[in-house]
Amino acid sequence: MEDNAERVEAFQQEIQSMKLKAGGAEGESRLLVLGILMGVAGLVLAVVGGIQVAADANQYNQRAAMATGTFLGIALLIGGAALFVRYSLARYLRFWLVRLVHESRANTDRIVEAIERQGGGQG
Amino acid sequence: MSDTAAPLLELEGVRAAYGTIEVLHGVDLAVAPGEVVALLGPNGGGKTTTIKVICGLLRPTAGKVLLAGRDVTGARAEQLARAGLITIPEGKGVFPNLTVRENLQMATYSGRPLHEIEAMTYERFPRLGERRRQLVGTMSGGEQQMLAMARGLASDPAVLLLDELSMGLAPLVVEELYGIVGQIARSGVSILVVEQFARTVLGFADRAAIMLGGRVRRVGAPSEIEAELSAVYLGG
Repeated sequence: MEDNAERVEAFQQEIQSMKLKAGGAEGESRLLVLGILMGVAGLVLAVVGGIQVAADANQYNQRAAMATGTFLGIALLIGGAALFVRYSLARYLRFWLVRLVHESRANTDRIVEAIERQGGGQG
Repeated sequence: MSDTAAPLLELEGVRAAYGTIEVLHGVDLAVAPGEVVALLGPNGGGKTTTIKVICGLLRPTAGKVLLAGRDVTGARAEQLARAGLITIPEGKGVFPNLTVRENLQMATYSGRPLHEIEAMTYERFPRLGERRRQLVGTMSGGEQQMLAMARGLASDPAVLLLDELSMGLAPLVVEELYGIVGQIARSGVSILVVEQFARTVLGFADRAAIMLGGRVRRVGAPSEIEAELSAVYLGG
């Protein structure tokens, strides 16, 4: 246990000096939901802005409606779509990677099995 | 191990999910320096997910993972491994297409030279020495598990996480492997061992916890936990 007291101390020092990115618990699913909400809000704003522009003949009012509705809505829609693509794609790619690893392992097992069947295995 | 020692590893209200399905619903657990804690329970209880959260492979959705008192939630797995938090995963995690020696070479990231790692490994596991040039995929399950352990130990762990060491192995091999785990425990390494088959582990654990449905239901001395195990597994 004497030796390990030193190891524990070294471990404690390493952990204290570790540079960590802030963030803590996972924010990925929250950002995905935020992306969806931003997209929906953006779409609604853009449609409402469009209706306001169409319903008002006054150019100044039309510009104001475009600035607060349509343009803001489009910006939210683009931002939301970017978040959605980023975080749904990351998840998809992770599953894809896991699948590749799994297939590679299955292939190796098949090769080992074939070698063993031919009497070449030593396991 | 002392009862009053501050935990080296601690989980506080950890929740984790796969996609939208939450599998850990607030896990609290602590391992003191030099302590061996057995995390037991039937399949699907969240034991492996707990290990994944601790070693940084899965980020929790809530709660904290503390190492030596520092919040390391969300730290990358390789950072934690470099510091000395070593995981021997379920399913061994060895490279089947590489030889024993090449697999051991993977442990040199810790800075320890290969010849030193080999010497240490072959002394502890002589059978691996005999098979040093053999492709790992052609070795028996027990030998592969030995290699996984050897690679983990080569990194000089301060905290060791063992996930289902006995999976798919013959009882004699399991006994042999746990004999080695017992030696490691006696050298003062903190160990969290996850097992479905509890009896062997309870023989050398300082404390045991029962995990069911994504929560730690009970923590106590191995003798107390052993008495409750049949009820847990049989749902009585």
